[in-house]
Amino acid sequence: MMKLRRGDILLIGIVLLCAIIFIIIRAFPNEVSDESHSKIATITVDGKIYRTVELTAEPQEIKVQTEDGHYNLLKVHDHGIEMIDADCPDKVCLTFGFITNPSQTIVCLPHRVLVEIENTNPKDQGDDLDAVVN
Amino acid sequence: MPSSIDTSAAMLKKTVMIAIFAAVAVVLSIIESMIPLPFSVPGAKLGLANIMVLTCLYFLNGKDTLMLIVLKTILTAFIFGTFSSFLFSFFGAIVSFVLMYGMMRLGRDFFSLISISIVGGIGHNIGQLTAAMIIFKTSKMFYYLPALLLTGVVTGIFIGLAVKYLISALSKLTLFQGWAVHE
Repeated sequence: MMKLRRGDILLIGIVLLCAIIFIIIRAFPNEVSDESHSKIATITVDGKIYRTVELTAEPQEIKVQTEDGHYNLLKVHDHGIEMIDADCPDKVCLTFGFITNPSQTIVCLPHRVLVEIENTNPKDQGDDLDAVVN
Repeated sequence: MPSSIDTSAAMLKKTVMIAIFAAVAVVLSIIESMIPLPFSVPGAKLGLANIMVLTCLYFLNGKDTLMLIVLKTILTAFIFGTFSSFLFSFFGAIVSFVLMYGMMRLGRDFFSLISISIVGGIGHNIGQLTAAMIIFKTSKMFYYLPALLLTGVVTGIFIGLAVKYLISALSKLTLFQGWAVHE
């Protein structure tokens, strides 16, 4: 068994601390997105807006067809959206799970598909710190 | 001219070693894709191929390791990638390589292979997120970074241990004698 050096313990500690601080910071703000706000999801393929869809409680499925014949299957339900199927090689997009919050995204790198959530409430908290440039 | 024969033999040996390491790295990537992870963190992976990158960094030099990474990334992209996924993994692999190479060169007294493999894994994640940020023009993907830091520490520890065992096993082979430049 190998011994950990001082630097190892320091490094692991710093990385864990960073992760925990990020998670704690994130837990406090923008918990306003509950069911009373209507939200929309913007689906972008290769930088171009493919479709926007309202995140309804009723289930509906959206098939994203990329130009080279591939697909991503999204499902809207319970005011959120999730990727349920795709024919991309790595299937990383399926691991994003069910998202409901504007800070969350679903990304399919191989197909360049991006799903973002936005609050449509006029006086939303403006928690989009990130500039979205299209 | 015994010396020139020696150098060309050493060159050949090195080339063969890079090729074997790259082949093993690709096989490890394939095996990795068959192992389901118990947690669903987008972008998290075991990083088994990093075992070969670190081993190469240990026995050979930075230039050879860069060659290994280019080979491995191109081969993996041919097997299960698209051009986009190649760009992302290449970017991740380069960031990961630069960080590990720097630590291998400068921080060997302070850090063990475990730290280097953790930094390599996290560097790969950060590189991919940065590439995604550039392509998609949004930094929202960094939302997943904290979770990736946690999984990166766990997988990095195991990859580092695996490298440690592999290096001590390989060092016993006559083929690798006189190659370990770092200790």
